[in-house]
Amino acid sequence: MSPDTITLSSVQNRAQERFAETGWPAKKAEAWKYTSLENLVSASLQPANDISGAVATPKEIAGPHCRLVFHGGQFRDDLSDALPAGVRLVMLGDDESALAAIDELGASDNLVSRLTVAKMTAGISLQVAQGALIDRPVMLQFVGGAPAASSHPVIHIDIGDGAHFAYAEHHETNNRLSAPFIVVRVGAGAKLDHVKLQLENAATHHLGLTCLSLGERADVNSMSLSLGGALSRLETHVRLEGEYGELGLSSIYLGKNDQHHDMTTRVAHEVANCNSRQIIRGVLDDNARGVFQGQVRVAPHAQKTDGQQMSRALLLSRDAEADAKPELEIFADDVVCSHGATVGELDETHLFYLQSRGIDEAEARAMLIDAFLVEAVAEIRHQGFAELFRPFLSGWQVPHKG
Amino acid sequence: MALLEIKNLHARIGDTDILHGINLTINRGEVHAIMGPNGSGKSTLSYVLSGRNGYEITEGDILLDGESLLEMEADERARAGMFLAFQYPVELPGVGGMAFLRAAVNARLREQGEDEVDQLGFVKLVRAKANELGIKDDMLKRAVNVGFSGGEKKRYEILQMALLNPSIAILDETDSGLDIDALKIVSEGVNSQRGPEIGMVVITHYQRLLSHIVPDFVHILSAGKIVKTGDKSLALDVEENGYSDMMENANVA
Repeated sequence: MSPDTITLSSVQNRAQERFAETGWPAKKAEAWKYTSLENLVSASLQPANDISGAVATPKEIAGPHCRLVFHGGQFRDDLSDALPAGVRLVMLGDDESALAAIDELGASDNLVSRLTVAKMTAGISLQVAQGALIDRPVMLQFVGGAPAASSHPVIHIDIGDGAHFAYAEHHETNNRLSAPFIVVRVGAGAKLDHVKLQLENAATHHLGLTCLSLGERADVNSMSLSLGGALSRLETHVRLEGEYGELGLSSIYLGKNDQHHDMTTRVAHEVANCNSRQIIRGVLDDNARGVFQGQVRVAPHAQKTDGQQMSRALLLSRDAEADAKPELEIFADDVVCSHGATVGELDETHLFYLQSRGIDEAEARAMLIDAFLVEAVAEIRHQGFAELFRPFLSGWQVPHKG
Repeated sequence: MALLEIKNLHARIGDTDILHGINLTINRGEVHAIMGPNGSGKSTLSYVLSGRNGYEITEGDILLDGESLLEMEADERARAGMFLAFQYPVELPGVGGMAFLRAAVNARLREQGEDEVDQLGFVKLVRAKANELGIKDDMLKRAVNVGFSGGEKKRYEILQMALLNPSIAILDETDSGLDIDALKIVSEGVNSQRGPEIGMVVITHYQRLLSHIVPDFVHILSAGKIVKTGDKSLALDVEENGYSDMMENANVA
């Protein structure tokens, strides 16, 4: 073995060294200004390594997908379905290019990439063959866990040039911390549909990082729902690396009680002629807090970039709070970029109109909340994923306010 | 028993008193017009009757079929038979028109202890009523009032009234923003719903609506009080002589 051969343990060692140096983000760290990790830092977390525990039964999410199950942070082949033809699963340690990508991202200044690679509880790599048109979505299911445990699955997905692939994530663990790190390379002309359902247990902290890179004419449509957990951050970094790339990156967060939802995105237009479009909608009740941080960076040569970002939050309670930090960094001159962020309440005239027609207040509020979300939901391109998604919105009960 | 009784009604918004003791009795089958200049309290009256939040009733009562409405929310009043056609119908982006109409009709049916309508039968019913009012299918598919012209919004109000089958309908300046053709269509829609079971209150600034929807009684509202009551010829008086004459005379009297 030559000294610069990349191995799983060398990648992990480097991540451990980096994490030992930097540790958790300082209280004043700009990237964590709105989201405090104090509760996690003070907890003594045990990376999950127990595969003997009873198997939790997650919510059945119907659909034609094949499941890959991560139970208590471990990948469980025995609980997983066979993958469709054209998709190959290998252990992360056996995929050098995946390891190299993980290693490079682990070197960046990001908490989750460092932490999760350092404390990795599972690592797999999915390879979608060039030109493969995969009809059947893959469902990554993260379940089980223990209240003092943390899970750190690392998943690399390589979508070959011209391939079509769809995957969903279903997070419903009982861990103290669930911190999945997912890296996706979308090849030239490849198409990806993605949906993420964050339905963690009420005490769980979820810090998820997804890094996407898009090749020329790659086309990605992604939607995330943050619904569960005590505190969550769904962070997505996207690099548009080939011309004519198309990115739809939308999200919805629904918070109540003391929940904290943080949606952080970083979209880098590295080359010309790419489009990115982000629609973010949040609804917050009780003392819930929502954060949207969206950075769009347009490199000097990335002319004809079209980058759109619109974040809207709806507050149902006086004690709820929403913060938005859009950041545009544009170094090219021939671009169309826009961003907007609004925070508002349900419109009293809208409520009155519905009630004047005999619709009671609870139903009227539910109708107006649905209406507020409908534009974001409409962003989901994949029909099956749209159907998967909707029940979680209508199931979000809105308590009647007297 | 009277259908709607408004007894010595006083109402205010914040520190501003708007209604200063309104008395009005409406029986089934009657159409009452309430006319008055801007600021006389016409819209406040319509909102107070339909139960909009933000208005404080300081004195008096409103009875529908002998039951006080004061403790009832807007939706309870609507299910009890109250309907308000808005002067400015509200646009509800993202709220599908058909789902909205169906929710409203089903809420009323549930209250009456009847079965909810099935989707297919409901679509047929709506289309038939919409057709009479010159409302195109395309409008029914859109979000509530979104992208409708002023005239289309008013027709959509009358469609809702036809579907909800109220016992008392308040039409708040239904003529505002309508050209003469739209005014005729809307008036015909209202007239087709007149009958021995329904009472109507037509609130308007101008006489012209009342030559299409001919009232049984005309009341002049000024500074939060009814200052004069008469038959349809009173509306013509207003048209000829304006409100100021009448208000002066009322003060003298």
